[in-house]
Amino acid sequence: MNPLSPEEMERFQKLSNEFEPDVQGPLVSTKQSSHAIAVEYANADPTLATKTGTLAVTHPMTRIMKGDGNCGWRAVAFGYFEMLFALRDPSRVQRELARIKSLNTLMDQVGQEEHLYEIFVDATEDIFAQISAAIQNGTPDESFLVDAFNEEYSSNSVITHFRLLTSAWMKLNPHRYQAFLPLPLDQYCATQVETVRTEIDEVGLQALVDCVIEGAGLGVEILYLDRSEGEAVTPHQLSPNRPNIATIRLLYRPGHYDLLYRAEPTVNMAPVVNYQYAMTSNYSPWEQGALSFDVNPHLMSIPNLMADPSYGMAPSPIMSPVSPTPAQQSTSPFRVSSPQDMFHSPVPSHAPVPSTIPISSPPPPMTSLPSRSSDGPQIRLNPLVMKPNLSRSLPITTPFKK
Amino acid sequence: MDYTMEDTQNSAPDSLEATKLNAGAQRNDTQSVTKRLQAELMQLMLSPSPGISAFPDADGNLLSWTATITGPTETPYEGLILKLSFAFSNNYPYAPPTVLFKTPIYHPNVDFSGRICLDILRDKWSAVYNVQSVLLSLQSLLGEPNNASPLNAQAAELWDTNQEEFKRHVLARHRDLDDE
Repeated sequence: MNPLSPEEMERFQKLSNEFEPDVQGPLVSTKQSSHAIAVEYANADPTLATKTGTLAVTHPMTRIMKGDGNCGWRAVAFGYFEMLFALRDPSRVQRELARIKSLNTLMDQVGQEEHLYEIFVDATEDIFAQISAAIQNGTPDESFLVDAFNEEYSSNSVITHFRLLTSAWMKLNPHRYQAFLPLPLDQYCATQVETVRTEIDEVGLQALVDCVIEGAGLGVEILYLDRSEGEAVTPHQLSPNRPNIATIRLLYRPGHYDLLYRAEPTVNMAPVVNYQYAMTSNYSPWEQGALSFDVNPHLMSIPNLMADPSYGMAPSPIMSPVSPTPAQQSTSPFRVSSPQDMFHSPVPSHAPVPSTIPISSPPPPMTSLPSRSSDGPQIRLNPLVMKPNLSRSLPITTPFKK
Repeated sequence: MDYTMEDTQNSAPDSLEATKLNAGAQRNDTQSVTKRLQAELMQLMLSPSPGISAFPDADGNLLSWTATITGPTETPYEGLILKLSFAFSNNYPYAPPTVLFKTPIYHPNVDFSGRICLDILRDKWSAVYNVQSVLLSLQSLLGEPNNASPLNAQAAELWDTNQEEFKRHVLARHRDLDDE
């Protein structure tokens, strides 16, 4: 019947079981330019080349997930924690931790045993603790999170936790998912969701978002890179009817998920601007009569150029040289921003005023320019600091939108 | 403007930090595996299932266990004591344990070296499976072999065609193992 002996069969089965595609690189990469994706497809199908070219402009940064069978799960889990960190709201982190731990009841309800799932929950709790500490310490970037997710054991633990929550959620809400499944839901959960290396599919992803992500007020958007018509990747919002404070974006290529980041500059930029301003304002203008950086009429005439709305709130631009924030802010110009970030007080209120600079005598550019009003929006011109902001104020992405 | 970020992430202090973290993480892995196996052992002792038992080997290494299954009633294995070995990796429970029948057994899904063909010990492994659930699955596999993918084709055929002959083979192959 079969030409292979049982031993040979077993040997092949073993080889097959132990086969792992030769995937390189870290489990979660650092944020990198998505231009590399465009280069990868430059000589491929023209549709793909066009779409990836557009993508590199609309979503200039990406984070590559290792294709080890967990990339979709890992991308969403990482995106979730990264977003929580980026929002920098300690009470939100605490609320989320409490919410995620309360979901243990879902696992209890479907008969998962606590002595088995507790190590997964512990791993997730540990990530929350790291995020809380990082926010408290003012850690400038998310590299601690990248490190944590590249530690395979804890990475797997968090993913397993999310898998078990998703599975429990699906079993408790079968009416929402069964119709989309090719096999009985219990069997689907046992063979596709609760396993250690099965890639997430669309139904599983929807359930993961419904159960774990949506409750955090976060949205998930998938951008499909395929040969369908069009010049840009096809976006799909997973919870379109809920208001989101931020969105995790996934690039989907058949069988693989990575993270994507839109062209969003850091919005909490005021300290950076003021820092530059105050640095230069300690010196007399290099050319008397030169137009100040603050009110260049040529730039004023550009419609819609970023007007700094925070100026009126800023106590004084000269306060900022002592603020520790500017250097930190500048290290990650693409930090994902949130509405929470957007209208923070631009200067830490506790920042002491340097005693050497009397507030009553403002720096030269201000005194020489009567046209500057103290309460209206101001245009800041320092090209160093304007660069990231310009991408938001000038419609550079418009040509690529259809 | 990207390279400011690149710089911070690739700078030497960060890499050093990462190395230290990884060294710590390695230790934590072993601790986590140990913690998990201790929890399983505790569970097996507190609420034992009839017909199965398992205990870590006497060498003090929690990563290798010996288990027994008593052949279920109304199966050809009724009353037989079958010994198995469990070997856990440092990545357990994110990789299945290696499970072998140490007692010689005649079964469609077990080869003559004691290797077992069972999906949950391979690609369908889940991190919530455990020694107890694996033993329970094997116990039911004794009475309900999966003849669609046999390791022992003769046994599979006999199971379907001649139960009496099948049982004769089972008893002929069986040999009680002495305690080591």
